[in-house]
Amino acid sequence: MADRPRFSAQTLSVLAALEADPTAWLHGYRVAKQTGLASGTLYPILIRLAERRLIEARWEDEQPAGRPRRHLYRLTSDGLVAARTALAQAVPKRQPAAGRAARRRLATEGGA
Amino acid sequence: MDRLVRMLTGLVRGLAGLLGEQRRDWVHALLAETDDQPTPSARLAWLGGGLWLVAREVLMNRIIQALAFTAGAMALVWIAWPGASTNSATPVNRMYVVGTLVLLAGLPLLVRRYVGPVRPGWAPLVIRAGGYAVVLALIAATAVQQRIGGQLGRYFPVILPVWAMDVGFLLIIAGYVAGLLILTCRPVQFTRRVLPLASGIGALTAGVLYLLAPFGIGDKAEAASHSLHGGPVVVADYLVLACFVLAALAVPVAVHAVATRLADRDTRPGILSPARQALLVTGCTMATAAILVALFTSITIALLPHHVPQQFGDGICPTCDPSTIVIPPNLRHEYYFEESVSGAGDDASALWFVPLVGVALGALRGQLRYPPAATRPDGFPEGA
Repeated sequence: MADRPRFSAQTLSVLAALEADPTAWLHGYRVAKQTGLASGTLYPILIRLAERRLIEARWEDEQPAGRPRRHLYRLTSDGLVAARTALAQAVPKRQPAAGRAARRRLATEGGA
Repeated sequence: MDRLVRMLTGLVRGLAGLLGEQRRDWVHALLAETDDQPTPSARLAWLGGGLWLVAREVLMNRIIQALAFTAGAMALVWIAWPGASTNSATPVNRMYVVGTLVLLAGLPLLVRRYVGPVRPGWAPLVIRAGGYAVVLALIAATAVQQRIGGQLGRYFPVILPVWAMDVGFLLIIAGYVAGLLILTCRPVQFTRRVLPLASGIGALTAGVLYLLAPFGIGDKAEAASHSLHGGPVVVADYLVLACFVLAALAVPVAVHAVATRLADRDTRPGILSPARQALLVTGCTMATAAILVALFTSITIALLPHHVPQQFGDGICPTCDPSTIVIPPNLRHEYYFEESVSGAGDDASALWFVPLVGVALGALRGQLRYPPAATRPDGFPEGA
């Protein structure tokens, strides 16, 4: 049986943020804003993903005026496959919970 | 608030200096985005995450290393320190314990200061951890072997030449530890896979040689020597000795050839020249084989002392003073058992002799492969 990588919910949120536009290079603050993760959680995730070669990282080429150069990230081709697979698998797992919540909501609203 | 942000930035940046180069880059990435945070409190929270990241990385590495070393040191003390005061091996074993722990704790600091820190990557760390485990296990097994072989302490006095040999053994171990640390530090860059390959071939060679002679080749060399002076000829002993000699000659040449081939293809800057790489890994292979054979035979002797080939003599204690003291008849069996155990295995000379043979053969092959006239100043051959 193939050894599929397992990801935590936080890692999935990072993968989802990067997978939204796989060709774009995102910086850490933007990923943090999109995922709502604190820097102390986000960066260890980015480090692990880079070590597994699921993301690639580079510094901005040009020195921008008034701020330091940013470190940029995007999914590698392996990372894109892994992210899409993991996100596709994660959605069905969430559905039952969503279904239960929906049923509860309907019950409290007097429906169903 | 801004002052606090600046202080925390400085703290995180300073602590990042304790990390390896690759990890430090990530901390700098985090710091670079501090100013993107909209408010001072958000900047503080962002930097707090950076502090957590650095602390986690530093503490995890250092704590794991310290815990592993402490566990190894405690195991060594537990195994090698105890011993009756009448046992002649007790003071020697305690000297081994103290000396080994001082070497293992102190040499990394010296190598880091004068040569450089450990090379990034999994291979150098695994090789260092493995090397430390081998040294600790070898000293522990040797101490048990000597303790079994020194119970009749008054007939095995630790005279000055014996102390000198024991100190010499510790110096050889110091050489091994220093070699291990230097070969795995950052300024000494090898082609990928060369060092793990060399260590693996050394370990494989040691495994094969150990299976041929689990108690060492000392008794076989002695039997062969006797046969040359008219004693009985045991073909098996000659075959085993021939295998050891063949390994000592063939393995360095083969490793040198493979290492040269791999290193020749690597043109990355900062890598050692192929000639140097091949020479160093040849010595490394033979050192690995020698220390692992010593470890395996010492463990076997310590665990199975009654299976050690027995030696018998004329009942006179050669190391006693005066050297004509006769062992009482009721102690002779025990005396020769203990003498056989303490003298079994391959003595420490193999530990320095075998790597030197490897380096000499590697140097010889290197001279043939890279004649001085055809070598550029950077060590690469012409046309490479």
